[in-house]
Amino acid sequence: MNVKSEASRNFSRRGFLGLTAAAAAVPLLAACGGGSSSSSSAGGAIKFWDMPWGTPAYNDAAKKLAESYVPTGSNGKASYQIIQWNNFYQTFSSAIASKTGPAVSTGGGFQAFQFEQQGQIAYADKVIDALKKNGQFDDFLPGVLEPFKTDKGYVAVPWQLDMRPLWYRKSLFDQAGVAVPTDWPSLLEAGKKLKSIGAVGFATGSGAGNNIGNHLMIMMMINNGGGVFTKDGQLDVMNDRNVEAIEFLLELVSNGVIDPAAVSYTTDNLDAQWKNKKAAFGMYVLGVPQRVGDTSGDLLVASPMAGPHGDKAALVFPNNIMMYKNTPSQESSEAFLTYYMGQLKSLWQQKLMNGLPVFKSITEIPEFAGDPNNVKIVKEYQPIAKTFAAQGTSLNANLAVLDGGQALNQFSQTILTGKTDAKSALQAFKTGLESVIKK
Amino acid sequence: MSSTTAPSGLARARRGLAPGGPGGGSRNRTDGLNRKSKLSGQTRRTFFWLLLPSIVLLVLINGYPLIYAGVQATHDGSLIDTGNFVGVDNFATVLSSPAFWKAAQFTLWFTIVGVFGSWLVGLGLALLLRTKIPAGGTFKVLLLLPWVVPIVVSSTAWNWLVATPDSLIPSIFRNLGLGTPLFLADPHLAAVMVMVFKVWVSFPFMMMMISAALASVDTTVYEAASMDGASKWQQFTQITLPMIARSTYISWILMTIFCVNDFPTIYLLTGGGPVDATTSLVVLAYRSVFQDFQTGPGVAIAFLMTLTLVVVSVFLYRQIRKSSVE
Amino acid sequence: MSAVLHAHPESGPALGVAGPDKTRRVLSEAGMRGRWWRFVLILAITAIVLVPIMVTVVLALTPGPNSTATGLTLENITGVFSKTLAGTWLTNSLITTLSTVIVSVAVAAPAGYVLSRGRSKAVSGYSLLLFVMQSLPIITSVVPLFILFAGLGLVDNLLGLIIIYVGSTMTVATWMMAAYFDSIPVSLEEASWIDGCSVFGSFTKVVLRNSLPGILSTAIFAFLLAWNDYLVAIVFLRSNEIFTLPVGVQSFFQQNMTDWSGVMALAVVMMLPPIIVFATLNRYFSVGGIGGSLAGR
Repeated sequence: MNVKSEASRNFSRRGFLGLTAAAAAVPLLAACGGGSSSSSSAGGAIKFWDMPWGTPAYNDAAKKLAESYVPTGSNGKASYQIIQWNNFYQTFSSAIASKTGPAVSTGGGFQAFQFEQQGQIAYADKVIDALKKNGQFDDFLPGVLEPFKTDKGYVAVPWQLDMRPLWYRKSLFDQAGVAVPTDWPSLLEAGKKLKSIGAVGFATGSGAGNNIGNHLMIMMMINNGGGVFTKDGQLDVMNDRNVEAIEFLLELVSNGVIDPAAVSYTTDNLDAQWKNKKAAFGMYVLGVPQRVGDTSGDLLVASPMAGPHGDKAALVFPNNIMMYKNTPSQESSEAFLTYYMGQLKSLWQQKLMNGLPVFKSITEIPEFAGDPNNVKIVKEYQPIAKTFAAQGTSLNANLAVLDGGQALNQFSQTILTGKTDAKSALQAFKTGLESVIKK
Repeated sequence: MSSTTAPSGLARARRGLAPGGPGGGSRNRTDGLNRKSKLSGQTRRTFFWLLLPSIVLLVLINGYPLIYAGVQATHDGSLIDTGNFVGVDNFATVLSSPAFWKAAQFTLWFTIVGVFGSWLVGLGLALLLRTKIPAGGTFKVLLLLPWVVPIVVSSTAWNWLVATPDSLIPSIFRNLGLGTPLFLADPHLAAVMVMVFKVWVSFPFMMMMISAALASVDTTVYEAASMDGASKWQQFTQITLPMIARSTYISWILMTIFCVNDFPTIYLLTGGGPVDATTSLVVLAYRSVFQDFQTGPGVAIAFLMTLTLVVVSVFLYRQIRKSSVE
Repeated sequence: MSAVLHAHPESGPALGVAGPDKTRRVLSEAGMRGRWWRFVLILAITAIVLVPIMVTVVLALTPGPNSTATGLTLENITGVFSKTLAGTWLTNSLITTLSTVIVSVAVAAPAGYVLSRGRSKAVSGYSLLLFVMQSLPIITSVVPLFILFAGLGLVDNLLGLIIIYVGSTMTVATWMMAAYFDSIPVSLEEASWIDGCSVFGSFTKVVLRNSLPGILSTAIFAFLLAWNDYLVAIVFLRSNEIFTLPVGVQSFFQQNMTDWSGVMALAVVMMLPPIIVFATLNRYFSVGGIGGSLAGR
């Protein structure tokens, strides 16, 4: 944060203190204030906050990892805390603002960059150095670490990759007598044939709480060599590649290849489409067969499609672990994070993770490599994967605004309803982004 | 006639009292005010202590966040940082954005339909349940369920019923030859859908309010009226409605606040979409603060909304006060 | 006391019961037929209105994706109790909600009494202020309240949650209580003053004792608000063993994925206490419940 706001921050903090004191003076509250507060951490312990990345078994295992950490020297132990996804940004913000936040946490894909912008993040360069020393640094899959490197240092450390692969249901393609699309024109043709047998040729959704439609818009742009950011992080919405991608999506909508009700589909509606043999092809999350309870081998990962200019790209969200400045001891945070990165393998060994590992060695363990879909994603998608930064190499706080914000959601819903043309929709998208993105 | 004794009894009580003063029989309101000035210090102290806990809570839980929101609305900060003072910039930004006015318009319709829709349904059911019906009490409890079920659950159930072309209700429409309406994908139908959902969630509250008000209406009034040759409709408009008028005003005000401030009903069913068709002011404020990370403008929206609500409430409140003075 | 009450039937239960009784005696054959028609009508309406609830119950009883059971089963419901801390969450929810109800009524009743009987500008101004204050949406209050409560050590603590719930139910509750007190004749208190009661004494011994319907309706309002809230609780509660049920429900929402059989099962568990409360208190609604208490305002 800049110097000017420092003054007002101090002002407001004094305001809080004053009110806090006033509140404590109120007899009712004073009498109640004696109640125990389990949030106050034990002296020196590192608070590690984690999200429900999988089933409750995942959190149990992660908790066990965190709590079995034996610190060396004067470093503190770690305590584990689950934070629910619902309203998580509010939970983190209010905790950080009241200095009761975590020392280390997982969280939203771009959360680290948001809090970095607000001066709350401790850079992870020393953890990276430690990983270099213990050899894990060389184990990172290519390109995984770069998005986190900024001028000031590593903002966070990636620990799993949330990919958006293309899935297909083999039996529906057999039934329609078409081949799985390998490029855009074949997607359109296959989609028309699939539609004639009552199947959805390009399943997606943009209903309440569902980001898949938003991700699809960006994926199609970068699949065509476009995207909304240039190499140096400048906003670039109206480029020809984007226009072309959106025109193609509109063509899919007008031909009924994209479900006319997709605009309102939640992830549960999408799950039902995949489960009920309605969805034949589409971009979705990892682990669809397990997700919808159909592991018969009929649901498979398709190879990435080629855009009209021959570009190939996939969309990835590198999930990361971040450290905060508000910690009992920065050395303790670093020591714990270094330890935790070394323990990740066991989470994949127990098959608790939906995401892809960031370490080559984990992609080779039988529990992971035993699933041909996993192997295909690591082999074909990971090397061509791009983040929301599109042509840019490093992530930033603006991507959080792009990801969850209203501009993109409005844009994708406009496209999915089909009542627009590509250029005016992109223009509105650009205007919307400009009003919320900090330069 | 009890229909007249009840209000006059209420009015008498409403006129207030002062211990030690001569009975509260006077109909003159200014007289009541005069007597108040004679409130003994003892009584005033008792009143103060009786009010104190509520004042403390009001200041802490309601007042403090209001001030905090005021600070946020005039700064350009985030949830963590107050940021720089920007005066009324956020308000100007908000008021000049078409999204705000679109959301305001939707909020207005949502509130009107929510308030009067749930009132009409509640009234109809309350009148029906007032008559002798086998197992009437059970129905009364069952019909309260929509109000009881957590919204996160009922919104899922509604989604399950209407979201896809293969869902139950679109299938019924299709089988009736009415096409396949996409209830949540079509902007107009989605707007209708959230309103229907809101009425579904809210009518039990109205039903309960009206049932209770009806219970205090003396049924002998109706017998007398029908002997005088009054039709059922006349009985309804001239006896029933006036008798429940006050409770109706109150329920309208409360429901207006519940509707304008309603977040989960809309957010969980449609998320405000498609393309903002169901974005109300609260949803817009929420999305601005927590998804666009525009804390100042987002809180400014909430502030403007609160301000409008206060103006409307105060107006309605005055109306009630006026009608209560008779 | 009851003799006094009967002298003012508009505020007491006597009349509400007497009316229908009289009607029943004069029921004709046509009336009987009408009764059954109305029964069929209300049955149809209830059935339609409850379709979404039935969906919830059916989903709660449908075996989950990894289950071997067929048909409908209780295993989801027994499952949430054995696999999660649902029992603890239920206890926490009950503690929080009941405390909120008790404290909310305890704060609102005296304040409502002053609002009802006091006639100064300050009092009516306060009455309006209460009204205005509840207009700010709760989502803007959560962050400042968290910061304040963190300083007081009231985070991740049911007590902190209770205080917020009391604060947010108190405004409407005070109003509801004031409205009900309005319907209680002043002559009751006047009689007690002659007997030498203080203002406070007559409030507790005379007014409160005759306010059961008003208290109950206020209590139900507070009950439902506290019982169903998750927007506040999810930010304020951290530890699994301190969750309330609505926050517990959130733990079935994983990244991009939801365990709906668990959510629905817990939803059914959540529905039961309010149903029990409503069913138990049902008879009070017909003798001047919420509406009755507000009707006087």
